[in-house]
Amino acid sequence: MSQFTPVLTDPGDVSYDDGSTPVAQRGVVDRVYGFLRRIPASFLWIIVIIWSLPTIGLLVNSFRTRDAQRASGWWEAIGELDDLTLGNYRTVMDASGTVSLGDSLLNSFAIAIPATVIPIAMAAFAAYAFAWIDFRGRKGLFIITVSLLAIPLQVALIPLLQLYVGGAHLTLPFIDKTITLIPDLDLAGQTTAVWLTHAGFALPFAIFLLHNYISGLPKDLFEAARIDGADHFTVFWRLVLPLSIPVLAAFAIFQFLWTWNDYLIANTMVGSNPDAVPTTIRIANLAGDFGRNEYLLPSAAFIQAIVPVCVFFALQRYFVRGLLAGSVKG
Amino acid sequence: MDKVISTLLAVVIAIGVSAGIWVVANLVFNQARRNWRVFNAIIFASTGFLVGALLAGNRLTVGSTTPETGGFVKFIWLPVVAMVAMGALGIVLVQANEPRLRLIISSVAGVAIGVAIGLLIRETSHPAIDVGPLIGWTVGGVAVGGGLAALRKRNPLPGLLVGAALGFVLGGWGSADIGAGSVGEALVASVVPAALLGARYGLSSNPDAVRRARIDTGSRSFIFLVPALLFILATLVVPAIRTLVLSFKDRTSAEWVGLENYTETFQDRNTWNQEDWTNMFTSRLFLIGVPLLAIAVVVGSVSKKRTGKAVELGNPTMAPLLGGFFFVAFAAFTAFRGTIANNLWWVLTVVFAATSMGLTIAVLADRSKHEKLAKSLIFMPLAISLVGASVIWRFVYAPRDASQEQTGLFNAVWVGLGRLSTGSGLPTIIIAVVLGLILLGLLVLVARALVRREWGAAVVPGIFLLLLGWFFIRYVTDGVGGFVENEAGVVRASPIGFVQESPFNNVWLMVILIWIQTGFAMVILSAAIKAVPDELLEAARVDGATQSQIFWRVTLPQIATTIGVVVTTLIVIVMKVFDIVKVVTNGQFDTQVLANDMFNEAFSNFNIGRGAALAMVLFVSVLPVMVFNIRKMQREG
Repeated sequence: MSQFTPVLTDPGDVSYDDGSTPVAQRGVVDRVYGFLRRIPASFLWIIVIIWSLPTIGLLVNSFRTRDAQRASGWWEAIGELDDLTLGNYRTVMDASGTVSLGDSLLNSFAIAIPATVIPIAMAAFAAYAFAWIDFRGRKGLFIITVSLLAIPLQVALIPLLQLYVGGAHLTLPFIDKTITLIPDLDLAGQTTAVWLTHAGFALPFAIFLLHNYISGLPKDLFEAARIDGADHFTVFWRLVLPLSIPVLAAFAIFQFLWTWNDYLIANTMVGSNPDAVPTTIRIANLAGDFGRNEYLLPSAAFIQAIVPVCVFFALQRYFVRGLLAGSVKG
Repeated sequence: MDKVISTLLAVVIAIGVSAGIWVVANLVFNQARRNWRVFNAIIFASTGFLVGALLAGNRLTVGSTTPETGGFVKFIWLPVVAMVAMGALGIVLVQANEPRLRLIISSVAGVAIGVAIGLLIRETSHPAIDVGPLIGWTVGGVAVGGGLAALRKRNPLPGLLVGAALGFVLGGWGSADIGAGSVGEALVASVVPAALLGARYGLSSNPDAVRRARIDTGSRSFIFLVPALLFILATLVVPAIRTLVLSFKDRTSAEWVGLENYTETFQDRNTWNQEDWTNMFTSRLFLIGVPLLAIAVVVGSVSKKRTGKAVELGNPTMAPLLGGFFFVAFAAFTAFRGTIANNLWWVLTVVFAATSMGLTIAVLADRSKHEKLAKSLIFMPLAISLVGASVIWRFVYAPRDASQEQTGLFNAVWVGLGRLSTGSGLPTIIIAVVLGLILLGLLVLVARALVRREWGAAVVPGIFLLLLGWFFIRYVTDGVGGFVENEAGVVRASPIGFVQESPFNNVWLMVILIWIQTGFAMVILSAAIKAVPDELLEAARVDGATQSQIFWRVTLPQIATTIGVVVTTLIVIVMKVFDIVKVVTNGQFDTQVLANDMFNEAFSNFNIGRGAALAMVLFVSVLPVMVFNIRKMQREG
């Protein structure tokens, strides 16, 4: 039912949706009624316009000079089309400038790419093991892993920051000796700390998502491969990975957008090191810096948003699929 | 730039090495089934290498150094020798199938390894054996090993041997004074456990094909799971437990303080403040909400008489009931203040608004020709970061001084409305006429419904008629919108500080999240609506149901589960809201929420205990919803 078909409630009510009735035969009342019938459809477009206005305003303002932005609202740019400029974008990307968004764009990529690739690999292994390797305690371990989705990431932030600053040490009971489990790797303020955290937090969700898909692959496939003497490694590499491309893509897009847009984890781990901050922090800082550079915010925010929006429009199909399955991610 | 490249390079190398280890481990365990001798030799050799590297790397053996301080060769000789010797032992043990011969070879090898280790341990690491604890630990180990074997109803001898060996190691090395002992003591402490372990290995036979297959499967599950599970353990499980522990300690985690962090949090005026709660009864919201609820009661009782049900999806009682509820709830939230009240207000508003807007758009788009385009545009905010969205809306809300032109959309409209309604030019009259016509239309709708005795159809237009009529009267008399009139009768602009003026600034912050999450609700609900079987809709149509009856009675019940998923997901998302508040107000102007409070306490005030306690509060408050979600998901999966 992609087409809206009115229901006959009044005897005099006629449907015009198929357009087969010649206009000349319509009475005035019918014409008014037909107009009213179309109101819900136009209501949709009114909502769409309202939803888009804030973004359009930002986009228009990003091309206006500082003085123009201060003098009038963005909707008056129509009268001054000649004054539009790319100057804000140049200032924002200028490496020696006060904003230098370019560096933080690289940082954002340095965080988002490993934070997407690494959990995919690890989760794919684990999901395969949970789905197709028969070992003891499989079900219980899987339930525990998935249950970890319930933990909000705030709960782990403080100890993780302490881990990156000083390593992990355990004092053994009874014999009272302290051993170092993880040495101080000097990760505080490094992008590595951010993507390591992202990778860890993504895993329960990734395992759940991939397991759903991989466990649904046809069983005969695996039995045939095993009979042919293929070991688990070969089955995983040659069969499961190629067949799982759609779900891997869905997770990758989801995770990329999530890490690119993240503010909380980045702010906790590298917020104090200006050289390692991603775009979200750079922009938030710019927004907190009232007045002086406010006119650069629209262009900076637009550059920050253009990457995920492009990814989103190019791969929307996969993204929606991931969203449908991933409505449980905490 | 260089730094980024070097970082990426390090990442690539780290990933490459990890992947390499993983692939090699897989290839090695492939041999378990195919070629036991090769497999066994590799396993023995790598164990030897690892033990050698651990001893040498920790500078426990004579003349050893770490690779950094003493050169690579000095470090590597022991691991390599151990690797070769152990590899050879592995091959020999594969050849020996006769049980007694196996036991002898294995035990002798154990003794030899023990002697080698005992002689190699450097003097500063010789343990001064304390006989009491040594016996205690060993007996304990024997008891545990034997007990476990008895519980699993197995032959107790292997368990006893392993237990004794581990107990002897703990007693001989762990509870001894390291560095005060002699060579003899070092020999005793290493030979005994090594011999015990050797004997244990000698008891087992070379595995047959079935057991080799089991070793393959068991180890394979381990190889496939360990990377992910270790990562989860290190970044999620252990930190979560540690946060719980830290929440019972003081701000620097030095002293235990019991529940103090929690009691202080809940007694704090900023967390929960009910001082002015009686204000809610005098607020305008309350005065609108109560009559609406009264209307709902009247309509409900009439409805009960006619159809037997007072409240039903889509019946006329719903609109005044919901409207009244929200007006009263908002009145309550403007009177009860504090972090917890804010969080609850966020959840109620955002979840309801985003879900119902998403549902409306999904239904409207379902009937539209350009469905994809409309949905993409609504959905797009979801791809933008919350920080970016906050920046976008900051420009929409921006107030300017009354003397300047308003550049924020909302204030421009608000002040513009003020100018219009106090002015007397042509636009003012046009708007008044349009408003009047709309009112007239509503009046006709209500009158027609009343004349036809379809009183239910009169409720919703009637409510709109009252609200819009009130607005119309204000518009043509005193004027509405952003203006003030001083005593001299001079009219000036009066913009709203959407972000600064408490308590409704909370609502304007919520609008940002609603703007984003509506797209999420829309996509999920749209998919559910498309999945409603066409036959059901067709059958309802044939029976003469109207479009709205089909929606309320057929479509909505069909997608009820999906609405549940959307609502629960949104509850969790909204409970944890952080970015918007952090960027727009940082909790100032009475807009604090739990997640931002936690962040500020832990990372700005460096009060670790309080921050950890707030994190646990957040955890506990999303837990019921998450448990519900996960259980549901597991039933479906």
